[in-house]
Amino acid sequence: MPFEFILFIAMVGVFVVCAFAIKLPVSLSMLAASVAGLLVSGNGLGIRHLVEGTFGYVDTILVIATAMIFMRAVQESGALDALNIVIIKRFKSIPALLLPMLMLVAMFPGMITGSSSASVLTAGAVVAPVLILLGLPVAKAGAFIALAGILGMIAPPVNIPAMIIGGGIDMPFVGFELPLLLLTIPPAIVFALVLGLKHVKKVSWEEIAPKLEVETYKRYGPRLFIPILVVATLMVLGKTVPKYFGMGLPLMFLIGAALALFAGKRFNPLVAAKAAVADALPVLGILAGVGMFIQVMTLTGVRGFIVVNALSVPPVMLYVAIAVTIPLFGAVSSFGASSVLGVPFLLALLGKNQIVTAAALSLIASLGDFMPPTALSAIFAAQVVGIKKYSKVLKYLIIPSIVILAWALVFIAYSKQIAALY
Amino acid sequence: MKIIYLTIAAGVLVLTAWNLWTEKDWRKQATAAMVAVPLLLRVLLIK
Amino acid sequence: MQKHHISAVIISILMLAACVVAGVTFLEHRKVEPIVRGPGVTEIVKLSKWYPGLEGTAADTDVYIFKGEAPGGSMLVLGGTHPNEPSGFLSAVLLIENATMASGTLYVIPRANNSGFSHNDPQEGAPTGYHFTLSDGSTRFFRYGSRATNPIHQWPDPDVYVHAASGQTLSGNETRNLNRGYPGRTDGTLTEKACYGITQMILAEKIGLSVDLHEASPEYPVINAIVAHERAMPVASQVVLGLEFSDITIGLEPSPKNLRGLTHRELGDATDTLAVLMETANPSQGRLRGRTDEALALEGKDLYYIKAQQLGRLYVPFDEKGHSIEERVGRHLSALIEFAFAMSSEYPDQPIEINGIPAYDELQQAGLGAYLRPLQ
Ligand SMILES: [Zn+2]
Repeated sequence: MPFEFILFIAMVGVFVVCAFAIKLPVSLSMLAASVAGLLVSGNGLGIRHLVEGTFGYVDTILVIATAMIFMRAVQESGALDALNIVIIKRFKSIPALLLPMLMLVAMFPGMITGSSSASVLTAGAVVAPVLILLGLPVAKAGAFIALAGILGMIAPPVNIPAMIIGGGIDMPFVGFELPLLLLTIPPAIVFALVLGLKHVKKVSWEEIAPKLEVETYKRYGPRLFIPILVVATLMVLGKTVPKYFGMGLPLMFLIGAALALFAGKRFNPLVAAKAAVADALPVLGILAGVGMFIQVMTLTGVRGFIVVNALSVPPVMLYVAIAVTIPLFGAVSSFGASSVLGVPFLLALLGKNQIVTAAALSLIASLGDFMPPTALSAIFAAQVVGIKKYSKVLKYLIIPSIVILAWALVFIAYSKQIAALY
Repeated sequence: MKIIYLTIAAGVLVLTAWNLWTEKDWRKQATAAMVAVPLLLRVLLIK
Repeated sequence: MQKHHISAVIISILMLAACVVAGVTFLEHRKVEPIVRGPGVTEIVKLSKWYPGLEGTAADTDVYIFKGEAPGGSMLVLGGTHPNEPSGFLSAVLLIENATMASGTLYVIPRANNSGFSHNDPQEGAPTGYHFTLSDGSTRFFRYGSRATNPIHQWPDPDVYVHAASGQTLSGNETRNLNRGYPGRTDGTLTEKACYGITQMILAEKIGLSVDLHEASPEYPVINAIVAHERAMPVASQVVLGLEFSDITIGLEPSPKNLRGLTHRELGDATDTLAVLMETANPSQGRLRGRTDEALALEGKDLYYIKAQQLGRLYVPFDEKGHSIEERVGRHLSALIEFAFAMSSEYPDQPIEINGIPAYDELQQAGLGAYLRPLQ
């Protein structure tokens, strides 16, 4: 038995004991598992490695923290409630159109920024209450926006996993738009309808109107939406004219949050920001812990053990290995899975159309955002719809995940035929 | 841009430390500390 | 003091202690290792001589100039474009400490991305550096760096990196990759400014040949290879033949037209230099490697790479002998000797004659430390 395997078992074992037996939070369990890996491998306490690992996510931590502050500000100003009213009034009579449209709205920030968390926390938080008012069970609404998060992350124009996979073989991010649209838009429409259609049909405006808080909208009117519109505009400008508006998500979110102070109901910005960061801390802690975990896996050779074993399956089993290992490794990080496994698998899939294959692999990598213990997309979705246990959301994500996997594998298997279509 | 982002990081660091101080559960305090480490070292321009 | 405040204080102290311990290592990493000035070096100048905008920044870097006894052609060697690829940097160091010029001028930039040497990539578990024992028993230490510019010097990364001259998009962290920023510009990032400085130097000094030294992970298709700009093809093919005579197999690839920002494309397009890039095999930067440490960087032995080789996943042979730093540096240095030959035969009125470069076999036998000079 290779030493790396023993190490891997030790690290996972410590994690499981800490997380389930001692009931420590995921962040601390990751820290404990990393320390165990360092000690067993003879690297001592390896403080340098623990700290260095967290830096892989320092930018992500800022994005999530500021996104939470922005959403909290928008919520406190009353804009969220008001937005729900507008959307429902406009589109309540045509759910078959409304649901896919809400899906696209929820995907939008992910498409522009390449971040599923940004999608779930911003547009997801706008869409989820509407879905719930329309009659979707809370957990299904969570699943809806979680799916929007990962599909948005993969949909063009920005897809960071595909960029990472392409970068690993020096393939520029060019010509990905069509395959990515084909990979994401059909499932997005199908999932939106399947999750929602049977609940939405029965709702009428008279029924839901009393549940809505209409006072704020009456008082402030459309100016409530200025912060959201400004952030959406900045995102588009950041993508189209990065030279002048490439300010990055955190700054956009903070500009939006500052505008929300003056757009509607008054609130204390410091208290709101503190509460927003408190909400974000469990996830930010997981990111820090995952950073440590990956660093220790790489240092000790566990990463190589996993990658080489994933590659050593016989060719007929290659698709199974892709379908299993990439999402599993994505549990630690979908970007990490793209780089660590996505690149070797793309190299192993010689003879395929590389762009279509890389695009499909990126979609599979995105499923990592559903995979416990990190499950960023699912955790945020649960938080947004107000469910304590994200496993309730996860339940509704299992079948869509299998569908996404199958869809992506079809694209890999028929990459040449698909590339010939356009 | 770097200065702006260092300021943002400092802001998030302060909010994290504030939560660490007011939080009652030591596990959540420790989680906050884990998040504070990279923010602090970045703000100090060490890493 | 309430109970939760006590735990908050204890946790904060632990957190600060971890910051101090790690912070000391991080600060230590900025200490520049000395390179001993060899007999052939006639001048050491800063890159900012050619682009003053670099002066005082972390990207300004030493340029070692070897003016030959006789006039002739000129050649630039870039080591340390990617500071996590030790053979490129060490080849440059061996040149600086050993080479002399009979004719022509040699320019060597050992730390092309100077900032990248001052840190390690997160989540790579890289060693901070590696040691050599010299003939007199003393040791020399060199830093193992990062593929990219230190975020302390250039931050934040955009979501998407747009190559300024072409509009090509790459993932955001490539913004700090020196070998994606050429030809560089003055109103860009620090990395692009470093690129600009190097381009300006080539233009001002009319450098005839520019060689960018790299390493690649063994699973990467372009490896043990020369990538050459189309104008450099005739010279590069001579080098391939010349190396074959010494039993060194090396591939030759044309620089792709649609991959922008790299030396072999942009330096060839933006200047009159013949631009080439060379890769050796470095398992310590690969995705399939096992335990990562100093020994892996120097000896290049790795069980998981052997396994991957047996699975047919690699683009270089890989057995229990691994790919030692002597082999990798030896390949680069032998190729540089051949390049000087090829340039001299292609352009006889502008000869480049270099002496004192350790030969491949000697390097394997004596070890790299034998060719480093002791520090005073
Ligand atoms: Zn390189």
